[in-house]
Amino acid sequence: MTNILSRAIMMSTPLLLGSIAEVYAERTGMMVTAIEGIFLLGAWGGFVGTYITGSLAAGILLAIVCGTLMAALYGFITIHMKQQQIVTGTAINILAGGFCSFFQRVLFGIPTTPLQIDVLEPISIPLLSSIPVLGPMFFQQNLLTYFAYLVIPVSYFVLFKTSLGLTIRSTGENPEAVDVAGLNVNRIRFLTVLVAGAMGGLAGSFYTLGYLGMFTTGIIGGRGWIAFAICFLGNWNPKGAVVGTFVFGLAEAVAIYIQSMSNINIFPNELVIALPYILTIVLTVARSNFNVPAKLGVPYSKEN
Amino acid sequence: MKRLKERYGEVLLFNIGAVVVGLILSACMLLFMKLNPIEVYSSAFLKIVTDKYTMGEVLVKSTPLVFTALAFAFTYKANLFNIGAQGQFYAGSIVAITLSLQLGAVLPTGLTILLVLVGSFLAGGIVGALIGFAKARFNANEFLVSMMSTYVVSAVMDYLLRTVLRETKGEYLQTDPIDAKAYLPSILPGTRVHLGTLLAILTAILVWVLLYKTPLGFRIRAVGSNATAAELAGIRSKRIYVIAFLISGGLAGMAGLTEINGVQHMLLQNFNSSIGSFGIGIAILANGHPLGILFASLLFGFMNIMGTTMGRMPGLNIPSSIIDLIEGIVMICVIISYFLRGYVHNRREKQRLRKAGAQK
Repeated sequence: MTNILSRAIMMSTPLLLGSIAEVYAERTGMMVTAIEGIFLLGAWGGFVGTYITGSLAAGILLAIVCGTLMAALYGFITIHMKQQQIVTGTAINILAGGFCSFFQRVLFGIPTTPLQIDVLEPISIPLLSSIPVLGPMFFQQNLLTYFAYLVIPVSYFVLFKTSLGLTIRSTGENPEAVDVAGLNVNRIRFLTVLVAGAMGGLAGSFYTLGYLGMFTTGIIGGRGWIAFAICFLGNWNPKGAVVGTFVFGLAEAVAIYIQSMSNINIFPNELVIALPYILTIVLTVARSNFNVPAKLGVPYSKEN
Repeated sequence: MKRLKERYGEVLLFNIGAVVVGLILSACMLLFMKLNPIEVYSSAFLKIVTDKYTMGEVLVKSTPLVFTALAFAFTYKANLFNIGAQGQFYAGSIVAITLSLQLGAVLPTGLTILLVLVGSFLAGGIVGALIGFAKARFNANEFLVSMMSTYVVSAVMDYLLRTVLRETKGEYLQTDPIDAKAYLPSILPGTRVHLGTLLAILTAILVWVLLYKTPLGFRIRAVGSNATAAELAGIRSKRIYVIAFLISGGLAGMAGLTEINGVQHMLLQNFNSSIGSFGIGIAILANGHPLGILFASLLFGFMNIMGTTMGRMPGLNIPSSIIDLIEGIVMICVIISYFLRGYVHNRREKQRLRKAGAQK
């Protein structure tokens, strides 16, 4: 049981980072529909950086750089060129898939055995990790998970208690007012998307660096979209994102657990795999009172 | 009228320009593999155009893309996003294979095909209509729901492939082949081109007529351009959501017919796993126009075969996933070209106005 819960926390990490990144971007009016591609590039960047240099830090750094670059491309097209966000995101996701598998081949050829890297070790926090149940659940995790713990309060505080947060929220609700106040709407949006890209890249790197230790092009398999969905379901609030992430992390941990128990056949495997996606549909349908940022998905142009 | 023609010409010019730039950029990617892009591209190109079978393959690959692109374009006209064409295609495929396995050997070819056509349309259509219903009734975000529906449908497909639909040998996750009587007839000897290609062309024309020449099409486009205004004019936008999604899903489902009865003759796990997202790309390239989609699909089919051909070139080790890279780059270029076209257009209008002002 503790094992499943601790697994759930672990699997929540990338979803948490990704959905909070999405919350920030969407609060400024930008849906980052390229998030699936950003996750994938982060996973790839993390793997490549670590495999080539042998250092996990380099992997994490490269993942962040990759995510940021992808977000820059996305932001430039959607903000400065004012193109449709969903359409641009789809194009970028296809590009990311092709880019990763192509350059994986360019760099490594066709290896005879799958390339492996050592994953991030869990770090036990002294004292805290010896608390029964909660200790192993929360305090025997890897570095990225601890970073995610830190992100939760900080992201909430910045968004709701600082003037920066107020600016971010206003940009999505009433960009004209932000503009009149002398701030550059498009610059705020672009910078927020860049930050979201960096976080998304980091989130993606969790799948290679914190979990699997290898890279395949199917490694993300829609989890970027789940982070995207959590942002919606969590009502564009970091608090909601935390709850949503844990539910999905739990679903994923249970799925992994059931799959490993091959002798139990109560549920078909496929149902278990589809669980997070079914959950998203059910929750999307069940919750209709959303606090959608007023200008979500709408490009801003000054009238002149 | 003249200005309208000018604009069509402009659209064509910018689109072709974007595709060419995209192809050149993606060709440059081969430099990373220390290959000569011009050599590789031209020999792949020659191989395709000189070989009748491969030319036929371009049409074969384009056919399902027409359907998934029409599916995206159809809801796009109502300002809705159906990202789940992949899942609706799988739903259509499941019904197509079931009907063909059960009835293919018994019924005459024409009747089987007709039944499969209706069945696959309905299967995709029902999945689509459910999404539209969730949008209309619960105000659910159709983008998210349709996105997730693909994963659910493909899990259902995997389940069926592992259990009731599994081949009698029980070796791979695939079905038995269907009876040759249930095949879509081939229409070009020496190639795999089948009747489905004609069906795709016909469907695109029908969709164009439906969207631009019928009251329903008018309502759909009215809801798309301004839902509130349409509502005030007495159009019930919620009903339009369901209908648009039903037809959109049905169109994607029809690709199940062409792929099962025309090409694969069996259902395989994960087959044609990216026609949904390429459909979106094609619809963008064609700016959602049903007839433009025919040409854009042809281009994507061609790029697809180009990728496979390059992947098969001996000794070069080009991954066939280079298709995704090429298509991704081309799509980005096309999107950027939309921006450039708008920019050029605005500047020209401004100049015209300034001149007109100066003459006074």
